[in-house]
Amino acid sequence: MILSTGRSLRTAIFVAFSTLILAVLLATLGLTQWVVGREAVRGLSRDLRTTGQVFASQLEERAVRLQTNSILLASDFALKRVFATHFDAARYDAETLASAGLSYRQRLGVQLVWMTDEAGALLAASPSGKPLGQSLAAFAPLREAIERQAAVTGIVEVDGKLYQMVAVPVFGPDVIGFLMLGQVIDDSVAARLKNDTHSDVAFLTASHVFASSWATSEQHERARSAVSQLAALSGRSAAFDPVPLRAGAERFLSLAVPVEAHLSQPLYALIQGSYDAALAPLHALQWRIAAIGTLGLAGALLTGMLLARSITRPVRALVQAMHEVLRGNLRHRAQVERKDELGFLASSFNEMVGGLQERERIKDTFGRFVSRDVAAAVLSGRVPMAGERLDVSILFQDIRGFSALAEKLDPAALLQLLNRFFTEVVTAVEAEGGVVKQFTGDGVMALFGAPQASADHVERAARAGLGIVERVARLNVLLQSGGKPPLQIGIGIHTGEVVAGLIGPDARVEYGVVGEPVNLASRIEALTKDLKATILVSTEIAARLGPRFVLGRSALLPVKGRADPIEVVELLAHPTGA
Amino acid sequence: MAWHVLNWHWLALLALAQPAASARSVSGSVTAPQGAAIAGAVVFVQPPSPPPTVSEHATAVVDQIEKAFVPGILPIMVGTYVRFPNHDQIQHHVYSFSPTKTFELPLYKGEAAAPVLFDKVGVVKIGCNIHDWMSGIILVLPTPYFTVTDASGKYILENVPAGNYTLVVWHAQSNVKPGDTARQIQVREDVANVNFTLTLSPARFRPAVHGSRADP
Repeated sequence: MILSTGRSLRTAIFVAFSTLILAVLLATLGLTQWVVGREAVRGLSRDLRTTGQVFASQLEERAVRLQTNSILLASDFALKRVFATHFDAARYDAETLASAGLSYRQRLGVQLVWMTDEAGALLAASPSGKPLGQSLAAFAPLREAIERQAAVTGIVEVDGKLYQMVAVPVFGPDVIGFLMLGQVIDDSVAARLKNDTHSDVAFLTASHVFASSWATSEQHERARSAVSQLAALSGRSAAFDPVPLRAGAERFLSLAVPVEAHLSQPLYALIQGSYDAALAPLHALQWRIAAIGTLGLAGALLTGMLLARSITRPVRALVQAMHEVLRGNLRHRAQVERKDELGFLASSFNEMVGGLQERERIKDTFGRFVSRDVAAAVLSGRVPMAGERLDVSILFQDIRGFSALAEKLDPAALLQLLNRFFTEVVTAVEAEGGVVKQFTGDGVMALFGAPQASADHVERAARAGLGIVERVARLNVLLQSGGKPPLQIGIGIHTGEVVAGLIGPDARVEYGVVGEPVNLASRIEALTKDLKATILVSTEIAARLGPRFVLGRSALLPVKGRADPIEVVELLAHPTGA
Repeated sequence: MAWHVLNWHWLALLALAQPAASARSVSGSVTAPQGAAIAGAVVFVQPPSPPPTVSEHATAVVDQIEKAFVPGILPIMVGTYVRFPNHDQIQHHVYSFSPTKTFELPLYKGEAAAPVLFDKVGVVKIGCNIHDWMSGIILVLPTPYFTVTDASGKYILENVPAGNYTLVVWHAQSNVKPGDTARQIQVREDVANVNFTLTLSPARFRPAVHGSRADP
């Protein structure tokens, strides 16, 4: 459960990272599409408008050229002569006139030549087809030319085709007739315009397509979509914003430019640019962005993964270390070689575990040389700071003839011997619930009934003393077998009320007991040498020992520092002891 | 401008023969409806039939001065010859496509080869092939009694024998048929005074460049 935290953290970092990158990528794509798409449409619209203007000026230019040419032609005296023949029935020859018309068509590159009299009645036509004598005043340019006696151009429909037409009076010197020239606006015109502007062009009304640059295959679809656009315009005469159109699979922007013409329905030049073609660069760009984005995403994911791992690995190491510590392994350290916060956390953790280990070590050491109970009592804070009065038993032990021994042995051997000795002593004391309060170099001071109060501390102390003697005897067997001299010891035990508590300045504070019984116990121990006894106890002890303890000699002896002598009793054995 | 305005049939219908007694004059003015004087209007009387014949070799002149026909309007009696002398330093090419008289005097300077005989009644519009703006009218009439209004629109027809006439006014820019302007008048002792009102259509503007040389 704890270990899975690393995995979920990693997942969270990974997900956050990828989500962010993905969001940035999508936002970039979206923004690009929006901006470039808008610009593409703007650019295309601009192109279409330009084409519209080019178209308008081309149309105007054609009209001017047509008019100029017709005026020049109409001023030709030969033409006037030809025209004048119609005044004379004998000389009027429609066929000759028409043939002259054919010649003019070729000369000017126009597709239609009509000649009328001064009232607009047809005299001759090339190509033929219209009945002679018919009034052509229905054609607006001619009607206006008759009215104004001047050249007039306009766009008209002739036999389903669209013509730019000019009607120009022929003067002789007054108007003797009208010359009409027509230049067709057909697919080739649209194709040329497309060639110049790269936009498709169509000339159409809401019901008829006159000419277009559309391919034959798409004519039908294009015309249908165009008509729907025109239907929406309903005869308005201004230029409009391009509208999007769809013809088959292709999309267009379509600009309808009204063209002034003399038709039953409004004529438009429909200028169209492929929306898809305009957006093609955008698609290419999008592909590139998508490719770069995908690479970036992959890179980011990899980075995220590594980053996540680099974060979770030390976390896992820390968690692992915590588990070790939980199991009691204080030697374990979190292996995190980093200089960031995690490194700091790990080193703090390691320091903390180090602290714990040190404390444990102190506790251990303390216990080894002092007493686990004292140490535990001190460490747990059970010892009252103010001190307390306790009824305790005090045991002093000493090695007799230690100085001579110390001189005989080398220091290492001496310490080894002492350690073995003290191990036996401490074991014996602790076996009876006592605490070794003090090491005196070659002896110990042990307390019974403190810091843990106990009712039978006198008997415990006595048993401990007997225990020490017994253990040292066994040690001596070992020493002697090792060729070493046996250890002679003396033990003094006394009981009484003492003041127990933490004694000493703050840095060196230790648990201790003070009081007369302590001194007396020490003195009693000193008496063992004189009496050649191993264990001496005070009468207070002897009195409180049950009958099961075997007591030996007793003596009333003077003691240093005391006016009255004291009575001591030799303790020999314990009935259940060895 | 239609040629049939001077269709002679109606004139014949209107003519009532009266023996001439003595010569009198007819005068008056031609004005626009607003009162502006109309110059260059031809006023003539249609005499009782048959019209007097023109004298042998009667000749009128349409001069060409500074790239213009002078006079711009020339009424003549049918059967009159017209000379077209060119007083400019450049050549002219006088022509007419009018059915009344179609003729052409190819490029020439000075005196034209021969005078042109106008032997049919009607309007003859003349032009110059190489100068578009040169335009003139020769009005061929079946009567010797005609005149042209002056700048103030006034006219006087002198020496008209007494009798019943049809008085007609004609102008190149008038859309009104001569029949509509015709008045029955009696020319007697006193001076007849007849005023006409004509509505003219606006003149067609053809910028003229005058001068006797190529580029004055």
